[in-house]
Amino acid sequence: MSNVEEFPIEARRTTEYEALMSAASSVLNAIPGAVYLCDHEGWLVRYNDDAARIWGRTPALGVERERFCGSHALFLPDGTPLAHDVCPMAKAVYEGAEAHNTEVVIERPDGSRRTVLVNIRALKGPKGEIQGAINCFQDISSQKVMEEELRHKNADLEDFFENSAIALHIVGRDGIILRANKAELELLGYTAQEYIGRHIAEFHADAEVIGNILSRLGRGERLDRYPARLRAKDGSIRHVLITSNSRLEDGEFVNTRCFTTDVTNLHEAEVGRRESEERLAATYEAATIGIAEADASGRLLRVNDALCRMLGLSRDKLLTMSFYDYTHKDDRERDAASYARQTRGELDSYVLRKRATRGDGRTIYLDIHSSSVRGEDGEFRYGVRVIQDVTAVKQMEDQIRSSEQHLRVLLEALPAAVYTTDAEGRITFYNKAAVEMSGRTPEPGDMWCVTWRLFNTDGTPLPHDQCPMAIALKENRPVRGAEAVAERPDGTRVPFIPYPTPLHDEEGNLVGAVNMLVDITERKQAESRQKTLIDELNHRVKNTLATVRSLTAQTIRHADNLDDFLVRFEARLLALARAHDLLTRRHWEDAPLESLARDVLTPLAGEAAGRVMLNGPSIELTSREALSLTMALAELGTNAIKYGALSSETGSLTLNWHLQGAAGSHSRLILEWQERGGPVVKPPTRRGFGTRLMEGCIEHDLRGEFDLVFYPEGVFCSISIPIWVEPA
Amino acid sequence: MTVFTDVKVLIVEDEFTVAMMIEDALAELGCRIVSSSSRVPHACEIAETADIDVAVLDVNVAGQPVFPVAEILRRRRVPMLFSTGYGVAALPPAFSSHPVLSKPFSDRELQQALTLCITANSAANAGGV
Repeated sequence: MSNVEEFPIEARRTTEYEALMSAASSVLNAIPGAVYLCDHEGWLVRYNDDAARIWGRTPALGVERERFCGSHALFLPDGTPLAHDVCPMAKAVYEGAEAHNTEVVIERPDGSRRTVLVNIRALKGPKGEIQGAINCFQDISSQKVMEEELRHKNADLEDFFENSAIALHIVGRDGIILRANKAELELLGYTAQEYIGRHIAEFHADAEVIGNILSRLGRGERLDRYPARLRAKDGSIRHVLITSNSRLEDGEFVNTRCFTTDVTNLHEAEVGRRESEERLAATYEAATIGIAEADASGRLLRVNDALCRMLGLSRDKLLTMSFYDYTHKDDRERDAASYARQTRGELDSYVLRKRATRGDGRTIYLDIHSSSVRGEDGEFRYGVRVIQDVTAVKQMEDQIRSSEQHLRVLLEALPAAVYTTDAEGRITFYNKAAVEMSGRTPEPGDMWCVTWRLFNTDGTPLPHDQCPMAIALKENRPVRGAEAVAERPDGTRVPFIPYPTPLHDEEGNLVGAVNMLVDITERKQAESRQKTLIDELNHRVKNTLATVRSLTAQTIRHADNLDDFLVRFEARLLALARAHDLLTRRHWEDAPLESLARDVLTPLAGEAAGRVMLNGPSIELTSREALSLTMALAELGTNAIKYGALSSETGSLTLNWHLQGAAGSHSRLILEWQERGGPVVKPPTRRGFGTRLMEGCIEHDLRGEFDLVFYPEGVFCSISIPIWVEPA
Repeated sequence: MTVFTDVKVLIVEDEFTVAMMIEDALAELGCRIVSSSSRVPHACEIAETADIDVAVLDVNVAGQPVFPVAEILRRRRVPMLFSTGYGVAALPPAFSSHPVLSKPFSDRELQQALTLCITANSAANAGGV
């Protein structure tokens, strides 16, 4: 401004600053607001009463001057302390900066604070120099409080809208969604961008429903919990209740405010409940097992058709009864005790098999599964009883049990050792014969065989896990033709034949095996006896042939002629044969003397047999004694028929025998051969072969004594042999 | 048949007819029968004491095995032969090297066995000396 000419002082107008400085105090107080002035150095030079009131103090204007502001302390609106020399007034004085409606906070000496709205203007001199500044300020504390309250309220409302648990949206008059809160967006799964700005009808599943809603709202009607179905972003349908009203301004529809309550879960629960109710009812009636509901006393509250059929009683009849009424009296107490515990809550449920009497009087078996329905408080409400007719099952079980029992008894009674094992070979059953045969009782965990020790037939040990039963199980096949020897703990041995046979279930799986051990001790003994007999027979035959050979040779040597040979040889051979016959009939055991003598003498005597007398006690002879005695008697007989008493019509023969001495080792059998009434006997001139044979048979073979005397009236022969007679 | 002259024989045979045949056959060969026994205990006594050159032993003597007699004879180094109806298998291994006559046998078989028996024994004794 150098080109502007400065007016002389007297000629210029008073500046604003000068005017204000010169104005009376009343002028400043007349200003409706707090006012104060600072000079160009910032010294506080004038202020009015309002300012002092707001400051709560009256700053001095004389020697003790203050700068920039009369307040005790200053703060920015956010509470930051504001030093006086940087406050808006300082800036105006130094820089000429103006302040328009700037808010600052003044603290009074008493600590109270006031928010003020500050307007400051620099006051300039004629040359534009800053002469001072004026600050007009208003106490806006009360507005501030209201403003704050309003702001809070708005924020609350926003928060309420935005964060409300209830879905909320606002729709304009054209049906466009204007706003939607989080709950609404979450309910349907859209983002705000996807939802806001679209037509509300797009999200309704039922066009006529939204049409109806909009038209009703358009007429200013309220909707209260109006059911509708919304389409969520994932395609699912949400069941909602809409509560809405319209906002009208000057009778004009502005928008609608809708609260959307999601009742999908409720809806589903309801549908589910209904379906389950229906299903239960259908199941209840269609069930082939009986179902009943009973109160705590057992009175029937509900029964299904199946139960009516099962009991042969009508529904009406059953509903007048308690379930005890049809229960067999012997089972009633048991059922009642359990049911009482259940109603008291001591049992959740129980299972019971009981007898019941049908309408027709027939007794049936029922399996009861009883459970309780309780209220939320845990109180017993009613009992649910599921009832199955198991009469047929029971009968079958009884039959199976009895047939199992029967089988067991059968196996027990079987005269062969029988035992069973599981698939692993553990013994599961054995009968008495098995215990007897093995000489021990199988112990738990015993494997493969009931026997104590096993041997092969050649005497080598046979480990149990290699026994025929183990093979049958391991190879899953029956084993036949095996033979083994079991040793009992007492050391005795039993030869046996095992018959191990695998057992299979219906699917053909190996479940175990059964084995039968047949004791072949007797067979073995018989085989051994037979071998001995065959050996003995062979020996006998060979000895006999040797005897025959000897007799032949000797008879030939001593025969007078062929005819003599024939008679003597035939007699000797036949006697031998008859003795053999007799011994064979008696299995080469003892032979009775009387039969022997008769068998030898009767055929020799022929017609004279009636004149042969045999007398003596019953004596049993060993085969050795029988054979030797036969030879002697045949020689004597042949002689008697050829030359002696039996050669005539009148002669007779008596054979007497008796025992001498006590029974036991020192007994002797004495036989006396006496011929009478025959031709006169002349002693032979030479000792013949017959005599030697007789002597040999008695003395050599039997260590007996042989004495032959040729009396003229008849031949007399005495034979004495040691004999074993059983003591009486 | 001078070879058997005065050969002293013990016969153990329980069946007289067979014993008689053996006795007769041996007598014809020139042998002398020391004893013809039909019982094992009796035969043992004879075998123990008598002067015997050779023995003809039945294996089964009245139900008893003849081996006690054979034991004595072996101890006394008396040659022996066995006659049996059972066959060679009836002999225990200790005596299986001795000649065996299977009943019935002929005089000729008896003579051959006896020859074998005495010759073998003489050879053994000769070798031993």
